[in-house]
Amino acid sequence: MITHSSRKVKEGKIVKVEVDCEDVIKKLRITGDFFLHPEDVLDDIEKTMVGLKKDVSFETLVIKINDIVKNNDARMIGISPESIAEVLREALK
Amino acid sequence: MRWRVIGLETHDAYINMALDEAISEGIRTGSSPPTIRFYNWEPGAVSIGYFQGIRDEVNLEVCRELGVDCIRRWTGGGAVYHDSGGELTYSVIAPAGVFPKNIIESYRLICGWIIRGLEILGIEAEFRPVNDILVKDKKISGSAQTRRGGILLQHGTLLYGLDLKTMFSVLNVSRQKITDKMIKSAEERVTCVLMHREAGREEVYEALLKAFTEDKDYGFGAWNRDELVRARELAEKKYKSEEWTFLR
Repeated sequence: MITHSSRKVKEGKIVKVEVDCEDVIKKLRITGDFFLHPEDVLDDIEKTMVGLKKDVSFETLVIKINDIVKNNDARMIGISPESIAEVLREALK
Repeated sequence: MRWRVIGLETHDAYINMALDEAISEGIRTGSSPPTIRFYNWEPGAVSIGYFQGIRDEVNLEVCRELGVDCIRRWTGGGAVYHDSGGELTYSVIAPAGVFPKNIIESYRLICGWIIRGLEILGIEAEFRPVNDILVKDKKISGSAQTRRGGILLQHGTLLYGLDLKTMFSVLNVSRQKITDKMIKSAEERVTCVLMHREAGREEVYEALLKAFTEDKDYGFGAWNRDELVRARELAEKKYKSEEWTFLR
C-alpha cells in the first residue's frame, strides 16, 4: 500500500514522503524544497529505509539517518534527521 | 582572485542550467575562471529544486499549453517560475574556499550583493535565512546553492515584475506553506522591484552588476569554446532528458 505524508518541518522547509509498505518498507521517495549537501546522500537515506519493518521506531529511523549523514559528512539545511523520521513515521501509520 | 563577469544574456532553461554546470566543471579542472553571470530565460520556464517531485510542484499540462519549459535544477530549494520579462537571474560560481564554510553565512554573503543592488535602487531589503531576500516581509528574491567537487554554485532570481496569474497557473503552490505562514493568499507572500520603484530592467541590471562587482578584481569575459560545447551537451543529454526531469 502506498501512503503519503508531508509537512513544513520546524527547520523551515517542506518534506514529503511517499512510502510503499506492507509488512516492510518496499519503496520510499523523499521530496521537498530543502537542501542537502552532498545531494546524493538522499538516495542513500532512501535505500537504507527499504526493508525496515512498518512499525520501525522513530528513534531507529533517526539513528539510521544520522549514521548516513555522519558517514558522508553531509549537511542538511531546512530539514533534519528527526524531521525526516517524523514525516516517515507519520506516513507509516 | 580575478572574477570573470558575463553580462546579461538570454538563453532557454536548458542552456542556462547547463552553463552553470559546465562552468563548475571548468573551474574544477582549471579551464574556467570564477564566474559571475546574469541572464534571462526565453521562453519562460519553471525550475524545480533537485529534491522536488516535478508532478507535485508543476502543472505540466498548463506549462505545455503556455509553452513554458520545465527543468530540474542541479541545486535544492523550491520551484520557481522564471518569467521572461519579469525577473533577472544570476549565478556565482567559484572555488568553495572563497566563501564562508558555513552554508547560511555563504548565502548571507552572496545575498548581501543583491540587497546592495536593491539599496542602489532605493529599495530596503533584508536577508531571511535560509535563502530568501524580503522587502517589507515579502519575498523578492530566492537563491539556491550546491557545493560539488569543491566548487560552490549559487544561483538565484530577483523578481522585477509579477505575472501572478501565470506563476500560480504553472506552479502547484503548497497549501501547507501558505497555511503555516498564516496568510490567506500566496500573492501576499511575494513582491517585485516594480512594486517599489519604477525602474527599467536595464537600470536594475546595472544596479546588480555594480553591487556584485564592488570591491572585486574582475573583468568582463566571454564563454570559451569548451564551456559552450559542454553546456550544449549537458543541455541535450541531461537537462532535457526525461530521466533527469522526472528523477523524483
